[in-house]
Parts: sequence; C-alpha cells; structure tokens
Amino acid sequence: MRLSTNTIYANGTNRLMGLQSDVNDLNEKISSGKKVRSPADDPVASARIIEINNNKSMKDTFAETRKTASSMLENYETNLSSVTDLVLNIKSSLTAAGNATYNDSQRQSIATELQGRLDSLISLANAKDSMGNFIYSGFTTDKAAFTSAGVFQGETSRMNLQIDDNRTMPTTFTGDSVFNANGNNLFANMQQAITLLNTPITDATSRTNFTNGLATALQNTDKSLDSILDTRAQIGSQLNEIQILDDTGDDISLQYSKVLSDLQDLDYTQALSDLAKKNTIMEAAQKSFVSTSKLSLFQFI
Amino acid sequence: MNVLNVGKSALTVAQLGIATTGHNIANASTPGYNRQSIVQKAAAAQSFGNGYLGQGAEVGTIVRSYDDVLAKQVINTTSNQSSSSVYLQGINEVNSLLSDDKAGVSAVMTNFFRSVSAAAANPSDIATRQTVISNAQSLVSRFTAVNSRLDEMRSNINTQVSTSVATINSYASSIADLNEKIKQAFSSTGNPPNDLMDQRDLLVAKISEQIKTTVLPQQDNTYNVSIGNGIPIVLGNQSQDLYAVPNDTDSTRLEVGYGASGSPKPISGSLTGGALGGALQFRDETLDTVQNQLGQLAITFATAFNNQHKQGTDLTGTVGQNMFNIAGPVAISNRNNTDQSKQASVAITDPSQLTSSNYTLEYVNGQYNITRQNDKYVWTNVTLPFNQDGITINTNTSSPTNGDSYLIKPTQYAASGLTLAVTDVEKLALADNPSKGESDNTNALKLADLQNQNFVRVNASSTNRTFAQAYALTTSAVGIKANQMSIINQADKTALDNATSAMQSQSGVNLDEEAANLLRYQQAYQAAGKMMQIASNMFDTLLSLGR
Repeated sequence: MRLSTNTIYANGTNRLMGLQSDVNDLNEKISSGKKVRSPADDPVASARIIEINNNKSMKDTFAETRKTASSMLENYETNLSSVTDLVLNIKSSLTAAGNATYNDSQRQSIATELQGRLDSLISLANAKDSMGNFIYSGFTTDKAAFTSAGVFQGETSRMNLQIDDNRTMPTTFTGDSVFNANGNNLFANMQQAITLLNTPITDATSRTNFTNGLATALQNTDKSLDSILDTRAQIGSQLNEIQILDDTGDDISLQYSKVLSDLQDLDYTQALSDLAKKNTIMEAAQKSFVSTSKLSLFQFI
Repeated sequence: MNVLNVGKSALTVAQLGIATTGHNIANASTPGYNRQSIVQKAAAAQSFGNGYLGQGAEVGTIVRSYDDVLAKQVINTTSNQSSSSVYLQGINEVNSLLSDDKAGVSAVMTNFFRSVSAAAANPSDIATRQTVISNAQSLVSRFTAVNSRLDEMRSNINTQVSTSVATINSYASSIADLNEKIKQAFSSTGNPPNDLMDQRDLLVAKISEQIKTTVLPQQDNTYNVSIGNGIPIVLGNQSQDLYAVPNDTDSTRLEVGYGASGSPKPISGSLTGGALGGALQFRDETLDTVQNQLGQLAITFATAFNNQHKQGTDLTGTVGQNMFNIAGPVAISNRNNTDQSKQASVAITDPSQLTSSNYTLEYVNGQYNITRQNDKYVWTNVTLPFNQDGITINTNTSSPTNGDSYLIKPTQYAASGLTLAVTDVEKLALADNPSKGESDNTNALKLADLQNQNFVRVNASSTNRTFAQAYALTTSAVGIKANQMSIINQADKTALDNATSAMQSQSGVNLDEEAANLLRYQQAYQAAGKMMQIASNMFDTLLSLGR
C-alpha cells in the first residue's frame, strides 16, 4: 500500500500515544491499588462494589449498636449482681431475726441493719450510667427511678435498639418490672419487715403476728430475688444473642471484605509484569519510530 | 528547427514536473493538502508526406489526487469520532463525580443514617444529636455541590453550542465564497483550481468536526453542504446562518436555531454527530437524566424523613417539624404561548410514585395531552387536575388556547433547592408522640429504618428501591454508559484512523516518492538539454559547410 509521509508520522505518534496512555493507566492502577476505580472501568463489578459497601456499612452500624447494647446490658448485670448480694444478705438477716431467743433490742438492731441495706438498695435502683442517665427510669432518664421512700416514679417504656437487619432488642429494664414484679414491691416489703422487727413482742398474739409477718417477708423477698434472677438470666441470654450476632457479623464482614477485594483490588504481580512489558514495547516502538523516520531518499540525493 | 521545438517542449514539461513536485514537497504537512501531479501527454503530431511526425510533449493539466468516496468516509468518521469523544469526556466527568468517595452522595448519606442510629442508641445526649445535625448539613451540601457541578456542565454545553454555531457559520460562509471562486476558475480556464478545492474540502472536514455534514457536489463544481438530516447551510455562493437560541421552555438552555434571523426555529432535535451533536446528545441523555434522578432522590429522601420526623416529638416536648426544606416542582410556559397569564401548576402528592422524568402538557384540538418525556408515554384527553406518577398537574384557565404547551419539571431543581430546616439539636424529634421522656428513642429507630425502606421509584417502573440502591443504580447506569462510550469512541477513532490513512494513501504526499519524481524530472530535463545540444551541433555542422 502507498503510504503518505503524514501517515507514517501519524501512525508512529498514535502508537506511541496509545502506549503512553496504557502505561499511564497501569501506573494509576498500581498507585491506587485498585483495578476498578470508577463504574466506567467495570460497570458490573462496580455495581456489586457499591451494593456490598452499602451492606457492609449497614452491618458496621449494627455492630456499633450491638456494642452500645452490650455495654448497657453489662451495666445492668453489674448493678443487679450487687442487688442480688444485698437481697441474699437481707434474706439471711430476716432468717436470723426469726430466732426465738432474740429479744426486742436484738430485733431492733437487725431492723437498723436492714434499714441500711434498704437505703443501699434504693441507691442501686437509682443508679446512673456513664452518660448520667438513671438506668431504671424508663424514658425519663433525667429523673430518679424511685423516691427515697422506694416509690417508683419513673416511666415504664423500655428502649429498643436495632442490633441487626430484622432484630430490635430491648436494652433497658425499668424499676417497676425489676423491683416491683407481680405486685410484689421489694422496698415496701422491706419497709414492712423493718416495722415488724421494730414492734416489741409482748404476748402470744404479737408473737404470732411477728412469726407470720416474718414468714411473709421472707416469701416476698424470695419472690423479689426470683424476679431479679430472672432479669439477670434474661440479660445473660441477650448478651449471648449479641455475641452470636457479633460472630456472624464478623464472618459476614470478612466475606464482604473478601468479595470486595476480589472485585476491586489489583493483582500486583500481574500489573507490574504488564507494566514491565508495556515499557519494553514502548521503548522498542520509540526506537523503531526514530529509525524509520531517519530513512529518506533525500539523504542520498 | 522542429528538433529544437521538441526539446523545448520536453524542457517545459520537466520544469512543470519539478515545480509540481516542489509544491508537493512544500505542502507535505499542510492540512487538507492533496498531492498534485501533471498530466503529461504527447503533443499533436504534424503530418508530413511520409507520416505523422511527433511534436514533443505537453502538460494537459495539473490534477490533485482526490477520491470523493474516501473523503466522504473521512468526513463521516470525523463527525462520529468527535461526537463520541465529546460525549465521553462529559460522561467521564459525571461518572467520577457520582462515584467519588469524597464527591459523591452515597458516603455522606450512609454517614447521616449512621449518626441517626447512634442517636437512637443515646437520644438524650446533645453531642450525639449534634452529629445528626452536622451530618444532615453535609448531606444537604453534597446534594447541592453535585448538582451545581452538573449545572456547570450544563453551562459549558451552552458555551459549546454558541462556539460551534459561530464556527460552523464562519466555515459555511467561507465555503460559499470558495464555491464562487472555484466556479469562476473552472469556467474561465477549464482547469481545476486544486489548492482552492483543497481549502474547501478542508473546511467541510472542519465543519464535520462540529456536526454531521453531508456534501452534494454540483454540476458547476460548487458544493451544497447540509447538516443533520438534510438541513442546508451552503447552497452555491449562499450560506445560511445557524443561531444559538434559548429553549422555548427553558431560557437557560441554548439550542441550535435555523431559519430567518428574527425568528429561528430550534433544530437541536435533528442534529447529530460532531462536537455539537455529542454535547447535545450528552445533555439530553445523560445530564438531564442524572440531574433529575439526583433531584428525585433528594425529594424522596427529604420528604420521607420529614414525614417520619413530624410523627415524633423533640426534646422540648414539641411535635417534630420538617427537617429539610424541599424545592418544589416547576411548570414552565412555552414562550410561544399566546397568553402568558395562562399558566400551569404542579405539586408533588406522593414522592414514592415520583419518576425522574419531565412531562409536557399540551392543549391541542380541544384536549389536554400529557407526555412523560423519558419513555414518551402519552396520556391523551386528560381531565385536569391530572394525578399520576405522584404529581398533580393543573392550569389556571378554563379557556386554554390551542397549541399552548407547558414543560413540567418535578425534580430537576430539587437537589439545588434542598436546605436544612432544623439546626437546633433540641428540635430533633427522636421521641414518640407524645414523648415519654428524654431517652424515648421510638421515633429515632423509625428514622434510622427509613434507609431500609423502598421509597424511590426506579424508571417509572412499579419497583421501588432504597435510597442507597437508587443512587447506586444511577451511578452504575452512568458507569455502563461511560464504559460503552469509551468503547464506541475507541472504535470511532480506529475508523477515523483507517479512513484517514486510506485517504492519505491516495492523496497524501510521500517524500520518498517526491524525491524519486525530482530525480526523474531532473533527468528528463538533462536529457532534453542534451537533445537541444545535439540539435545545436547539427546546425553548427550545417553552417560550417558554407565556409
């Protein structure tokens, strides 16, 4: 074919420019570490990348929320563990108070001891979290859950948190459900027991009243203890569920990362070898262009 | 004496040959130059008694190597290539704008919902609430920033339209001038004015860089040039100007106009090819779509959030107000409507039914017709107010004029008009209505869950997607188109290279060939000189006989 001098030069420069652009492209990929840098590079892969990134970020949000949920639940667990100890203590004091050899003043000193325990209990029931919120007050976290007399004055809603795609979990407990379960008010019961212990035993009737009253107090304390232990069991199972969701979430997150990496990360070995190859080709093309363009009949005339 | 004449004719031919070769060498890199050559032939012989005696050589004419078909291929491929390259450049910008982590909407929207989730976990904390407000502000700014970048591209296209139109006009008028000169040159000498013709072909090629161009060579050696699907811009020595005119319904949008200078009619719709065609196509297909989809997302997101926010109660115990201010849809009267006081109106009724399309309302032959521009779906003889696709369209007149039309843009300006209405942390309505306390997160959970709900209608279909999915669909649609344009542009480049090199193969100058020609004519010249020397010697011999 007849070639014009323009074509010879144009072809030479076009080839070199094409190679340069290839080399540049490879360089950009190598420096970014990604083979898909925008949807135009690979629309199909990139649609998947966007989708996975979005899902991954949702899962991350759930994981963060689960951390919050865990710390809230653990907070309750710590608090209720102290409550349990106190109640067990109270129980043994009440049992001891039933000793028939005790006189009025011995019972009164037990009553004094119980009053101290009752104050500690109320103070635990009015605990605040690290943000300064009362933890047993329902949604009115700016108000103490119980009055100093042990009357519940909080609100009864439980806060829910979205801890996974289709799982919202209640992460707060309210004072009325923990300490006032089934109409059995722990604080009122204690108050009654203290009054009972402070009442002197003077005759057979007052002795019977005392024995019956103490038995009721013990029964009610047991019920309260059951309710508290139920709550703790519930916290345990909720923490367990969160742990399982965390494990699954970690697995999924890892899978997402792997798929993302497959979709968008550059194979460096391949890319560097491509770059070396392109560079060699470019050098050859430059040399061949220079030597071809040197050939001219005019040099011989 | 005849021998000397023959020698002289040979010298003349050789001289013309050298001159033409020199012209080729001089113009080897001149754009649009087609190599020339002398058409050499034997001079008419003279009859003697014993036969016809040759009278030497002569140059019939000087011609250029030019092939109409190859030239046509170059013109077509040039217009294709420059069209796809302008389109590609534009869509690449949109592509990186939408998908960029730092510039796109996706990442900020994710952050925003993240902060809402965080606030749901700690609704009474002021710092957590502040994060929601800040992230909402970032999201609003991102919507407006992306949109204003798209507006900037829109105004670049207006510049492109004006420049292209001016360029085409100037070339067309030069072609008309050249037509006249070439016609006269032919008729006065009978020989082709090669260099003028080269110039004219070059101008045609230049026009084809701007727009698809068709050339019809005429009997009198003039060119008729038309653009698009047969709109003439050069007829003989007359050229017809194009105009950059504002769109009938959108004065910020420049179109190409054609016709009388006082009232040019828009012809953008029938123009393809070239930088101009590419820019117009990019604006119609990609820019409008992306901007409308962005607006649709802004409206749908903001409305859904507002609606849920108003279901809640804020920290002060007040019912939630709108979180975002949303720019309303727009109805524009066509400027050719006879009575501009007759206007159309549009309102959004259900964002989840909204499409990203524009609509046209027309009153023709006693009935209103509405066209959805994206898929050209037409509702004929509709009763106003018209409720469809989540909008309601009405007019303020009961006596419409035949031919009146209105452009309805439900979403285009939404992203630019989005602002944050709530900036006070206490006004975030995260609680239930009525609120049960400062840690009531009931509404916050519902607000956070909005991101999982399918609010955004995709392409006038019955499927709705989440905000993130809808945005991803827009982004990947642009990506697919950008990828496709890149492939098309590559193919167009190759086609142009092939056509150019085929034409160059026919018409281009090869310096080695010219060097060979130089040697050839030089030798012919030397031979002719030698022959004249011999003739002169013959005379000398004759003259010496008389001494």
